[in-house]
Amino acid sequence: MKRPRIRGTVGGALLAALAAIVAVLVAPAGAQETTTEDGGKAVLKIGWGQDPQTLNPFVGLDEENYTVWALNWDLLVNFDPEDLQPAPGIAESWEVSDDQQTVTFTLADRKWSDGTPITSRDVKYSLDVLGGEGTLFAGYTSNVESVTTPDDKTVVVKTKQPEARIVGGLFIYILPEHIWGKVPVSELTSSYQPEIPMVGSGPFIVTEFERNRILRMERNPEWSGEEPNFDEVQFIKYGNEDATERALQLGEVDIVAEVQPSTFERLGNEENIETVRGASPSYTELAFNLCSAEDCPDAEFNPAVQDKTVRQAIANVIARERINEISALGTSFVANGILPSFYKTFYETPELDYNPTDVEEAKRLLDEAGWQDNGDQPRTKGDQTLSFELQVRSESQSDIQASRLIAEMVKEIGVEFKVQVVSVDALTEATVRFVDGKPAPDFDTFVWGWGGDPYDPSFLLSLFTTEEIGNSSDSFYSNPEYDRLFREQAAAFDDEERKQIIGQMVDLTQEDLPYVVLTEDPNLQAYRTDRLSNVEQQCPADEGGDIFCEQISYEPMLTLALADGSSSDDDGGGGSGVLIAIGVLVVGAIVYFVIRSRRRGGGGPIELEE
Amino acid sequence: MSGRWLAGKAAAAVVTLVFVIVFNFFLFRVMGDPTTQFTRIPNITPTELADLRSDYGLDKPLLTGQFVDYIGDTASFDLGTSQRSRRAVWTEIKDALPWTLLLVGVGTLLATLIGSWLGVIAATRRGRNSDNGLLGFSLFTYAAPEYWIGIILILVFAFWIPILPAGLQMTPGVEFSSWVSEVTDVAEHLILPATAMTLMLLGQYFLIMRSSMVDVLTEDFITVKRATGLPWDRVVSRHAVPNALLPLVTLSAIQFGAVVGGAITIETIFSWPGLGELTFQAINDKDFPVLQGVFLVFSAGVIFANLLADCLYFYLDPRVKAD
Amino acid sequence: MSGTATPAGLDARAAAGAPVELADERLRDVLLGTWRGRISVGLLGFFIFIAIFGSLLAPDDPYASSLDVLAPPSWAHPLGTTEQGSDVLSQLLVGARVSIVVGFAAAAISALLGSIVGLTGGYLGGWPDRILDALENWFLVIPALPLMIVLARLLDPSLGVLILVIGLTSWAGTGRIVRAQVLTLRERAFVERAKALGAGDTYVIRTHILPNTLPLIFANTVLIVAVAILSEAALSFLGLGDPSRISWGTMLENAFDSGAPSAEAWWYVIPPGLCITLLVLSVSVIGFLFEEHINPRLRDDR
Repeated sequence: MKRPRIRGTVGGALLAALAAIVAVLVAPAGAQETTTEDGGKAVLKIGWGQDPQTLNPFVGLDEENYTVWALNWDLLVNFDPEDLQPAPGIAESWEVSDDQQTVTFTLADRKWSDGTPITSRDVKYSLDVLGGEGTLFAGYTSNVESVTTPDDKTVVVKTKQPEARIVGGLFIYILPEHIWGKVPVSELTSSYQPEIPMVGSGPFIVTEFERNRILRMERNPEWSGEEPNFDEVQFIKYGNEDATERALQLGEVDIVAEVQPSTFERLGNEENIETVRGASPSYTELAFNLCSAEDCPDAEFNPAVQDKTVRQAIANVIARERINEISALGTSFVANGILPSFYKTFYETPELDYNPTDVEEAKRLLDEAGWQDNGDQPRTKGDQTLSFELQVRSESQSDIQASRLIAEMVKEIGVEFKVQVVSVDALTEATVRFVDGKPAPDFDTFVWGWGGDPYDPSFLLSLFTTEEIGNSSDSFYSNPEYDRLFREQAAAFDDEERKQIIGQMVDLTQEDLPYVVLTEDPNLQAYRTDRLSNVEQQCPADEGGDIFCEQISYEPMLTLALADGSSSDDDGGGGSGVLIAIGVLVVGAIVYFVIRSRRRGGGGPIELEE
Repeated sequence: MSGRWLAGKAAAAVVTLVFVIVFNFFLFRVMGDPTTQFTRIPNITPTELADLRSDYGLDKPLLTGQFVDYIGDTASFDLGTSQRSRRAVWTEIKDALPWTLLLVGVGTLLATLIGSWLGVIAATRRGRNSDNGLLGFSLFTYAAPEYWIGIILILVFAFWIPILPAGLQMTPGVEFSSWVSEVTDVAEHLILPATAMTLMLLGQYFLIMRSSMVDVLTEDFITVKRATGLPWDRVVSRHAVPNALLPLVTLSAIQFGAVVGGAITIETIFSWPGLGELTFQAINDKDFPVLQGVFLVFSAGVIFANLLADCLYFYLDPRVKAD
Repeated sequence: MSGTATPAGLDARAAAGAPVELADERLRDVLLGTWRGRISVGLLGFFIFIAIFGSLLAPDDPYASSLDVLAPPSWAHPLGTTEQGSDVLSQLLVGARVSIVVGFAAAAISALLGSIVGLTGGYLGGWPDRILDALENWFLVIPALPLMIVLARLLDPSLGVLILVIGLTSWAGTGRIVRAQVLTLRERAFVERAKALGAGDTYVIRTHILPNTLPLIFANTVLIVAVAILSEAALSFLGLGDPSRISWGTMLENAFDSGAPSAEAWWYVIPPGLCITLLVLSVSVIGFLFEEHINPRLRDDR
């Protein structure tokens, strides 16, 4: 009886493995030739951690989506990258009626990337359907009464109330009706995936989207605006921020759109890399539960949180500068009130700013209000104690740090904050809880953040209106005076006038303190100086937004250019059937070895002693 | 006899799979309220919520409506739509599966070969320093979390001595001139994750092969063979090893559960675009349809692999046939 | 390893059905008889000590942040600092508690569940046994980590949820071993005799079945502790841990997410993983020793 020659097979397998290892060790040399340089195409490469999950604007929620859409589709009215004021987009001009409730847009003579003319039908379709009720963009059309199209080049939008920002505020991508209009809305809002190339009106259109790898945008042949300096923009997925930043160091990409605070400084010290830090319209705040008994009969919280003096005392000891320095490693900006300084047109540092901190004043306020000093223990008044839960979501290390710092700071004045790190779901549940159809928030305080629309502060201001209780309001602040001012500013067509009103709103909230806004979040970006020139911070300009107006306007992308002497490269197409080949090889090898060992055995049983 | 044994195994596998499918339904419908998925949509009104519920068939009775639909859909590979990408869950899984098979296949193959090879070495050098060293090493890799090993591999081979890529399945943004360069590029990216997978599985294969060999080497027939004057290494390779291999097959079946666990964590740290990373994304996004689908596929995979191991065992072990 | 592998030796032993006892040899000899045993017991004792007193021993507030970000080891921070400038050593000391508590509590739940199911099925026989056996087999086949992930994601993460989820998914191995043991014990002469003499079920279980099964359950449970510790670490690493507590798994998660590998911050990456490994190693070796003791055939005189 012949024995299975296992040694031969094991040896063979090891040899095969060895061969594979050798093949792989010589691989780096092989991999390098794969990038072919021909200098023909100017390619801008942008690295990102994750790629967008879908390119369908009816359902896409990722930041990455907006970056792509902003290049692919023009808006009805675009934004001036200098100051974010309305600028011609698909509409070349517009006129506001005397009663300030009707805007007539005149469209430019332009074509979609497939050669079809862009008409008022496309605009109406987009405003009505993409901006329809219940969609992600519905907020932008809530004040729109009707959209009519007297002719191919005219769109008339009627509003319910006069609204200053109706012209620039219709932040809805104009989609080609001749393509999207054929798809039923129920499909658009569920599983529809746009066809590629994605017919567009912007300077670049998506021509390839290989998930988990690359999203390629090429010039729109019908683009009639200023010629971009690049033929192609590539968004390359690296899986996480760390890998993306490393790719920048290696020169694999030209721009990293989102740098982590923890590596920002380190990256800036690298050769040929320049970091950019700009303001953004988002902030991190400490929020208080101010829901009244009638609005929220079943809310659960320590009632002491609704004592205005207590909040003012707390605001007086929170050193925002220190929080920025430690929790955000100095990359954020200190905030002063509910309006981020990003909104230059309307921003003014509020008079009551709780800066610098004033421990004595805080103690005096609490003493005067009858909160008894108990030394190391929290202050008390009657059966109330100044001991609050401070909830913070586990996702954000910097928010957690900020919370712990706050707890440390308020201890000095006899206020206790018990920091509770919770999941984002738990925090959401605590703030949006409903009981018997009425809001029933279950928290004392929390640290979280908001992001506003870059071109208009209305959304951020709306968070404190009574109307938003049960919707977006998470401080449950209600003040008729604030509500009145909010309506007034919305209808103020004159910027100076609007600034005055917003100033009053900020003053109100600085006094009442539904939030202590801690820091304004930055845009942290980095690019290679040896690859790019004409890099400017825009949207808005000077210490403003970012280097390519991500998510807002394509304009800066038109001015960005290759630096002198930097090479450009060209890429072709590739397949992924290779994977299957490897898989087949591996499986084949296993099967082969098993069969072979079996066959060598001559089919006879293995000699086994019992 | 033999046929019935295999048929019984196959039937058991099918029953297990059916139970997974049923369990999957109740787990997600009863424990998790599917409407929480819709709260992602800001400012959703009760009417819209009701519409969505009817779109997803959630207004139907649980057993006679939803459950029947679910079974029908699952049978036709309709695993629902991802909440995040809005693509069919089955498409997502189909895209990711080859990558996982590649990683798991290479990892398992290497672990089996190296683990059993080292096991043989250790068993024949029992009690010596090399045996003790190998034993300590395999115990260590058995106890060490595989993602920790992976992170250390990244730290050492991607950053400290930067010779290998830190993640992904191929160099991003590069188009390949030929399929050969593409394969080499993938192979290069595979080294670290496959090493982590191999190290994770190695210990168990080593331990089993070693103890199996130790048992076989003390059997009488080995002593008899030695007495016939056959060289020792021939006795080991031709007589001892084949007989020690069987427990390995059983072990590989038990290992599949661990392999799946390892795929999730290892793919996560290497951004390897397989089912594991898909799972991780779904955890983060609370994408329950994807989570449900991936769980189903993982379970089916393990059940199938177990059945395969049974077949292999049946094929290799004459005793089973004789039973 | 994140799977719930059944220790092969125990399984074989249970199938052989011999009564097992721990009583004839003293526990101390089993554990401290070999150098491996002494080291493992010492390590486990050390980690339990840290789990109890870790927060008192921590030189620093583990949460306190500073501007000293990802700093290498120094006198002030013997194991360097995290991406938030916290002291790694302090986090490590505080993190021991979660591993130990989850490991032991989950294993206890698993042992209890497994014993109840195994005893009931094995003793009653018939259709309850068949159903329970099918359930066991099912849980043995289903990949453990995905099941844990799904359960943990459906519930809101907390220490209790972790314990419950791990306990609920890892009992099947114990169940099967106990069942096999009970099945054989049931047929043995001394049990038959007791029954013939009119002993009640509870009496038989208490005096004959349980004493002969407990050592098996015990040895198996020790091995499940190791699996539970690894599971907790894996779930925490994937972001499904208790967000309000530091554990070694969350430390690894934070280290990886904050780019510690690219910063070559080995002092942040190596310690938490090493602690998990050593803890799992010590528990496993203790488990193997029990296993070898119960089943001397596995003993391997080195």
